[in-house]
Amino acid sequence: MKNYLRSSIVLAVMVVLAQGPRAIGAADQGAQRPAAPAPAGGYAPARTSDGQPDIQGIWNPIGTFYNIQDLGFQARYQNFRDDPAQRGKSLIIDPPDGKIPYQPWAAEKVKLVLEHHADPTPQFLDPNARCFMQGVPRHLNNREFEIFQPPGYVVVFNMAHHTYRAIPLNGGPHIPEPIKLWMGDSRGRWDGNTLVVDVTNNNDQPWFDVVGSFHSDAMRVAERFVPINADTIEYTSVITDPKVYTRPWTMKLTFVRNKDYGAELYEEACFESNERTLELMLSRPGR
Amino acid sequence: MTTRLIGIVVATVAIAAFAKPAAGQALPRTADGKPDLSGIWQAVNTANWNILAHAAEKDVPAGLGVVEGNEIPYQPSAAAKQKANFANRATADPESKCYLPGVPRITYMPYPFQIFQTPGHIAITYEYVHAVRRIFMKESHPDGVEWFMGDSRGRWEGDTLVVDVANFTDQTWFDRSGNFHSADLHVIERYTPISTNQINYEATIEDPKVFTRPWKMSMPLYRRLDKGMRILENECYAFGLEHTWLKPPQ
Repeated sequence: MKNYLRSSIVLAVMVVLAQGPRAIGAADQGAQRPAAPAPAGGYAPARTSDGQPDIQGIWNPIGTFYNIQDLGFQARYQNFRDDPAQRGKSLIIDPPDGKIPYQPWAAEKVKLVLEHHADPTPQFLDPNARCFMQGVPRHLNNREFEIFQPPGYVVVFNMAHHTYRAIPLNGGPHIPEPIKLWMGDSRGRWDGNTLVVDVTNNNDQPWFDVVGSFHSDAMRVAERFVPINADTIEYTSVITDPKVYTRPWTMKLTFVRNKDYGAELYEEACFESNERTLELMLSRPGR
Repeated sequence: MTTRLIGIVVATVAIAAFAKPAAGQALPRTADGKPDLSGIWQAVNTANWNILAHAAEKDVPAGLGVVEGNEIPYQPSAAAKQKANFANRATADPESKCYLPGVPRITYMPYPFQIFQTPGHIAITYEYVHAVRRIFMKESHPDGVEWFMGDSRGRWEGDTLVVDVANFTDQTWFDRSGNFHSADLHVIERYTPISTNQINYEATIEDPKVFTRPWKMSMPLYRRLDKGMRILENECYAFGLEHTWLKPPQ
């Protein structure tokens, strides 16, 4: 227990102060399983018992989640080795300038968060550092996660914060609009070998990254998970939120199979260890 | 509290329709012939307040208890600690801190949970503080970890799913009445489906540091049949933090 608590507290400090580089699983090809007939030139995964394309396993997003609009930001900001390949890069592929198309008031709000970023008072602290669930799409852009496909569902398990998201494939309707959830309400279907998910009922609490990129409770996310080989998934999410943006925008992530954990993720009881530590760090006199 | 009571009322109404399993009803089964436990379930009892029989008090519904023989065989020093826990329960109960509640307590908290079943691996996702259990059907417990929810390893004995749970912390309780265990807790759970909509749940509790002998609790679990039923969220630790944690700027 003691060791585990200690490591969790260290993790908390890392989350607050660094959001350091993640361990990324090797992108080697691995053993290919027998596959269903491939579309011309495309990759076709094996099938699960209920006929889903099988994309199960533990995955890692590639890259940085510190600032989704500027992948070089973290290196510059924290003064560690700059990666020239990240300079000027954004995870946003639409609009073409790679920027979130905020309405003017929303752009002002983000600026305020950034001004307090170096030494945040609690209200400017990344909700992820408080062990809250990361929301969609950020829980896919935050260290390792597992995709599990029991009959009729795709379920995503995060090690961080033991977040989970169940995506039913039965074509059922979304839950009533007044219910807002940290992880939203996901409804999915397979379009060939592509998993297509519609996410509504999101609350307004999670951020997209550490620097306050945000949405409202009117956000809708349209996701596509495209397996391009046995160890790589290309993922896009189209973010629509008429309360905050001037137009929909699209983020693209790449997931690589993580072979470091074998078959099992560990329990990370984040809040149980972190909350008091963060409270002490951030509620000091003079705040 | 009010919300919890309402939850119980809703669940009670939901189960009224199938209180008696149809005679000869075949259990649903998976492709490999095992009983199919998939779905959303909930215990409908008051064990989270007290696993022993108890009369009603303000904000505490009465209950017959879930412990075999209605007795927990504490060692003398542990019995004293339970009394102290009870006296301090308002703040000492880990539930009051929103911690992961451990096993078996998570099973009979007044919230639904969902079982996902494949031959090699069963996952249970709980509404309360988005607790998760992963039950692997092979291999032994890992060394050197202590987890709030323990480490679960499953096997089938006939139509019963038997789950061996170990590697606990000493930071969870059995209920709001101070009943507790040490980090040496070892739980053997038995999930026996008796109809499409009912599982008989039994947990054997071993902890030689706290109890004089193993003891047992049991209760039915009922399928939630509500239209459009899904697990929602109960993010306990995101509630009521305003005194120290302000919301992000609006």
